[in-house]
Amino acid sequence: MSPAAGGAEELVARFGLMACQAEIRVAGVDADAAQAGIEAAHSELRRIEAKYSRYQSDSLVSRINAAAGSGVAVTVDEETAGLLDFAASLHQQSEGLFDISSGVLRRAWNFRAAQPPRPEQIAELLPLIGWSRVDWNRSQRRIALPQAGMEIDFGGFGKEYAADRAAAVLVAAGLHHGYVNLGGDIRLLGPRPDGRPWSFGIQHPRQAGATVAGLALGSGALATSGDYERYLEVDGRRYCHILNPRTGWPARCWQSVSVQAPLCLAAGALTTVAMLMEEAGPAFLRRQNVPFLTINERGELRREGL
Amino acid sequence: MKRALHGLLLLASLPLSGCALDPPLPWEKGILARPEMSMGGDPLEQRFTEHIHASKEAAAGGSGVGGGGCGCN
Amino acid sequence: MAATKPKYPAREPRGSVLLAALALPGLLPAVAVAENAPEQAVVAYKQLYYQDSQAGLDRITVHAPSLYGLLPMGEHWSLEGSAVLDAVSGASPRYYSSVSGASHMDDLRVAGDAKLTYYRERSAYSVSLSRSQEHDYISNAAALEARFSSDDNNTTYNFGIGAARDAINPTNDVVEDETKTSLQGIAGVTRALTAHDLVQLQLSYSSGHGYFSDPYKLFDNRPRQRDQGTALLRWNHHLQAVDATLRLSYRYYADSYGIGAHTAGIEWVQALNDVLTLTPSLRYYTQSSADFYFDPPASGPFPNVPEGSYSSLDQRLSAFGALEGGAKLEWRIDSKWSADLKASYYQQRSAWRLLGEGSPGLDPFRYVSVEFGLTRRF
Repeated sequence: MSPAAGGAEELVARFGLMACQAEIRVAGVDADAAQAGIEAAHSELRRIEAKYSRYQSDSLVSRINAAAGSGVAVTVDEETAGLLDFAASLHQQSEGLFDISSGVLRRAWNFRAAQPPRPEQIAELLPLIGWSRVDWNRSQRRIALPQAGMEIDFGGFGKEYAADRAAAVLVAAGLHHGYVNLGGDIRLLGPRPDGRPWSFGIQHPRQAGATVAGLALGSGALATSGDYERYLEVDGRRYCHILNPRTGWPARCWQSVSVQAPLCLAAGALTTVAMLMEEAGPAFLRRQNVPFLTINERGELRREGL
Repeated sequence: MKRALHGLLLLASLPLSGCALDPPLPWEKGILARPEMSMGGDPLEQRFTEHIHASKEAAAGGSGVGGGGCGCN
Repeated sequence: MAATKPKYPAREPRGSVLLAALALPGLLPAVAVAENAPEQAVVAYKQLYYQDSQAGLDRITVHAPSLYGLLPMGEHWSLEGSAVLDAVSGASPRYYSSVSGASHMDDLRVAGDAKLTYYRERSAYSVSLSRSQEHDYISNAAALEARFSSDDNNTTYNFGIGAARDAINPTNDVVEDETKTSLQGIAGVTRALTAHDLVQLQLSYSSGHGYFSDPYKLFDNRPRQRDQGTALLRWNHHLQAVDATLRLSYRYYADSYGIGAHTAGIEWVQALNDVLTLTPSLRYYTQSSADFYFDPPASGPFPNVPEGSYSSLDQRLSAFGALEGGAKLEWRIDSKWSADLKASYYQQRSAWRLLGEGSPGLDPFRYVSVEFGLTRRF
């Protein structure tokens, strides 16, 4: 973590976390208070990363996955139970398109490879996907994956949840001006000290380092999903990392979708579901009553309330 | 004057009760908190404007209490 | 699946995904407090230039530098203050008609005020003092104000009482050691109708007693009691699509002199980019005349005013309408400094009166004003 004073009353900390670039910016308080708040937020982020990482074998998620098919249910804490409830709700509302058990598709999809997987490879994995088959007992907070090889992960919203938690920690520390940005998923603490909003750019989906639109936000959250984060391109066809759990193939239709919502968790989940819904994405976002911005396959930008 | 005030109260209550209003929840107040949304505004500009108008027009006041008079009116 | 009870009641306009996210604890900070003491100190300087003109009269020019300061003191207190120096040059016979030999007259007004505010979670309380001093007129005023917010912070009620006492000692000795005392009360409600709409209604009443006449005008004898009432309605609406704010206001005024007035204002606050904001504004004002106002005779001698009866020739008590247009440009230089420039043009004509005839025999009155301001935050 390398905090740097950006202007006398603004403090910016940048560090790598959850495989992305994290930025915390706070303003309107003296450097000591800001520093203490940023450190508390940073340790909260590391806590969430350690707890929900699927790469760390001792993480809770790894323990749940390791027990898949064994018939043994894993008891989870209240925080994890809340996240599983959210996943269940999202699964239902997206008609199965948002599924935290779809991570098994990574076994077939290697975005560093020269070719997409063969259809047989994907067909083999599809039976392992299905949140509706997961045995989640809310009242006893016990979860069991019914089949060996099944797995769940919180990659679909862990980063957004972490951004919201870090912001809550900063606000609790008395910091009311600034934001947390985890790799483009942004949660605000509040506007600048003089009440003016912060301004954010939306990443250009085809030109790294360029932006396509700017917007001003003083509160709430902003998240963007795009087909440019991880992908492979073969014969002019782009295969992005947002995979449809029903077909096993990537979402098409949108280069990127950005959503503004009070919580980063909601904004991030909505962008992913909208990407997966393809043509039906904008109608879904309208029903969810959130401002959004889309860039379609031809690179055409459309803003609705954002 | 009384009748006019009654009319005004009625007028003011319309937006408070009518149509599909959607009062903001705590996390939806970012825009309302912006400086240009505040009823007051630039304090010195307001003092100048009210002072000039009060010295050229019969009507004055309405936005606050505590201002004294001056020889200009 | 069994979701936990949402922290906030489910409401139609909130999407189901958002509600599911809100069910998770610890993501939203505790409900924000309604009254926040200011966090930053502010010092602002403003320079006003004003010049008016009316056919056949000398122009009045005003140069007025002013200073404003806001000082937060700890978590719950703030102190505000301002001071202005009004340098008036060029006498207008309309105001100084009986000052013998004074075709030009310079005057100086010094005014200042201070306000102490105490902030609690859902309320704020202020006490303020102000003083204005000219060589022939001194005014002192004090006020107490309070604001209360509803539990959801969407409604704020404000109440205030004030008192002012003015001492008048005109240079022409028409009267000596005259005073004017007034008591004011105000009550208002401000409500957030949507995330983009704020409306306010304020009712105020002032009861004054004492010397209200203009000592420098002939035939000026006004009642020693003047009661004034106002209703002010304001509506601010933010348009996100164009990043602009529409500010509308309407004020109704009536007083015991028989004057009724309507004021309507519209402002459009347009963000041009990250640092520049342009605000064009338009204001219309109209009033009826005071019961005892009489029109200046077109020619010949002044009419006979019976001794002791009320009368005034003051144009400000006549029936007229006025239009004012202006534009303000604000430049946020950085997070500490900002500058602004505002220009207005005002014209008053009897023919512009709404709801009735204007008073005859009055020439249009005009002024231009220019303000330059500089603000520093700490």
